Amino acid sequence: MKQDTAAKTAIIASCFYFGLALTMGLLTALKFIVPTVGEIEYLSMPRVRMLHTNINLFGWLLQANIGILFWILPRILHTKLFSEKLGVATGILYNLTVLGGFACILLGKVKNVEYGEIPPPFDYLIAVCWLLFAINVFGTVATRKVKYLYVTVWYTLGAVIWTTFVFITGNMFSQMPMVTGVNQANLIWFYVHNAVGLIFTPLGVAIAYYLIPKQLDTPIYSHKLSMVGFWVISFVYVWTGAHHMLHGPVSHWLQTVAIIFSFSLIIPVMAVITNFFGTFATAPKSIRMKGPVPKLLMMGTVYYIFTCLQGPFQAIRSVNEIVSKTDWVVGHAHMALFGAFSYYAMAGVYYIAPRLAGRRLYSEKLGDLQFWIMTLASIPFFAVLWISGVVQGYAWLNPENTFVATLAAIRHAHIMRFSTGGLIFAAYFLFLYNVLQTFFGKYPEEVEAAEAAAVSE
Amino acid sequence: MKLISNVEKSLLLTAAGAFALFAIGGVLTTVVPPMVDQSLWRSEFPVHEYTEQEKRGIEIYKREGCVYCHTQQIRHLASDQRRYGWRMVDAAVSESWEYVNDKEHFLGTKRTGPDLARVGGKYSSEWHWAHFKDPRNMGEKFPDRKGIYEKASIMPSFAYLSDEEIKDLTAYLQTLGRNKDWRVDKDGNPLNDYEK
Ligand code: HEC
Repeated sequence: MKQDTAAKTAIIASCFYFGLALTMGLLTALKFIVPTVGEIEYLSMPRVRMLHTNINLFGWLLQANIGILFWILPRILHTKLFSEKLGVATGILYNLTVLGGFACILLGKVKNVEYGEIPPPFDYLIAVCWLLFAINVFGTVATRKVKYLYVTVWYTLGAVIWTTFVFITGNMFSQMPMVTGVNQANLIWFYVHNAVGLIFTPLGVAIAYYLIPKQLDTPIYSHKLSMVGFWVISFVYVWTGAHHMLHGPVSHWLQTVAIIFSFSLIIPVMAVITNFFGTFATAPKSIRMKGPVPKLLMMGTVYYIFTCLQGPFQAIRSVNEIVSKTDWVVGHAHMALFGAFSYYAMAGVYYIAPRLAGRRLYSEKLGDLQFWIMTLASIPFFAVLWISGVVQGYAWLNPENTFVATLAAIRHAHIMRFSTGGLIFAAYFLFLYNVLQTFFGKYPEEVEAAEAAAVSE
Repeated sequence: MKLISNVEKSLLLTAAGAFALFAIGGVLTTVVPPMVDQSLWRSEFPVHEYTEQEKRGIEIYKREGCVYCHTQQIRHLASDQRRYGWRMVDAAVSESWEYVNDKEHFLGTKRTGPDLARVGGKYSSEWHWAHFKDPRNMGEKFPDRKGIYEKASIMPSFAYLSDEEIKDLTAYLQTLGRNKDWRVDKDGNPLNDYEK
């Protein structure tokens, strides 16, 4: 089978899911302004919201990351992908699986697990696909032609191992009959939090660790920091699930443990970020910000810092009292999964698509334009959610305010969210067009050459 | 330094190291809490056992994703207790033992709508009926729903549910928060008069 077919199919498929997920997001946002839009069972707000999160997580981000790593791993390990056939088969099975899962959600056949609504048998099949991916990762590492494992490989190995346990705990163990109530909530929080922290964070960071030095043609700033970042995150991330239940009915000591570890997360994050910025700072000025790839990597890193500083901040009990359960949390989640990790994934797609197609990126200008629209729209998009969260959080403190009065107070934020979300959605089409053109389109110079040939005939 | 360079050369050591460090926190935060804190899965007090009808209601609550807009937990915060209380009585704080019979927990993460942990008995089933049909226009019978309520509610209409389904769902809602008998006036007389 042709080399890189697995990477190519996964990357192209993921780009389409990205658009579908954004559509669902926009529809959810619209329903917050006009709740009577699309008043049918299959488009009720919770269904659309579940589709939005699941398509983003499994259709777009996870699949894009898998595709990108299928391409990167052989390059850093100086070998071929362990099994191209297995990779393609994984991709096909995975897409059938997630499509089946999304159809179930649409029909209301869901599991009561946030981010894990996809019901059996499809969730089990996702686990199977993950194991097939793991075989390819381990196989490729085992058959490498280099001695040392680069940071990207550590994170990928970590993610493959951690995710297996995190996913099974959240989707299978939490569903066992004797697991009920708050105990179940704890397992599900373990999953939801670590889905972001031990699936998408290490995969995103792995990709950035490859792309930043490559794109900037500059060695990574500090190997020591890479080590600190990786080994500390392996240890500290997993403890923090219970910070989603502060003040709630779960054991007090568990909440305190989660808070302490939330703070210790600052260590690995700062190590990674210093490393990324250090690399940017030592790169030649002329290429530092040339084209969409370094811009997306830079901005993704900025969003990564902000999310990761927000995390510990929100875990302070008194802050949590105000922001928890409000729109603030929605802003925070978007900055992590859209701001940081989708930016890294888009950078990866922009970097790899031309190399897969064997020619340059269709249009750097268009890529830059997409970057600027998305970035300038996403800043107010996140910000209005935080503002509205704080407004509502304080409004709730006063029992005189009826609930709907506190809801009416944040209507402007919901309108802003929808309109800035609309801009992000529009910019997505520039991204899709650029990627598809790179793979399948005709380039201006090709058209000219064809015309010239036609004339000379 | 020797060790580090060995790890970086070895697939096995890197993978085993990453797993071991993760496993410590993984076990201590998932398996250990229910062992240390038995109230996470066992109750010393009587806890409501759901009837068949209420169980169907739970399935509908799950299927319709009410949990994405409604939490079910009165946190240890005065503001929660006051807001979700009833007739000047503060709502009792939710405790883990109250949930032990919930095969599906709906603690929730987002309050787009009010908390429902203690909503059982707060409104008549007729009220819920009208509210599910159209939260923005509940008709003449509920005059307190006029004005700002009528305009600002963003709860979807669940008019597409069958009558039977609305009844099941309401039956479940009416059980919520009853494991603690908190709704009494100063002299200890029950305030649950609305269900008559
Ligand atoms: C889009 C978010 C949303 C969804 C989904 C939603 N609700 Fe609501 N709900 C609200 C809002 C907002 C209010 C407050 C305004 C009102 O009373 O209509 C509310 C109010 C309520 C109330 C009255 C609470 C009180 O104390 O006054 C109940 C009961 C309720 N919802 C039950 C449900 C059930 C059951 C479902 C699932 C079938 C559901 N809701 C789905 C947003 C939502």
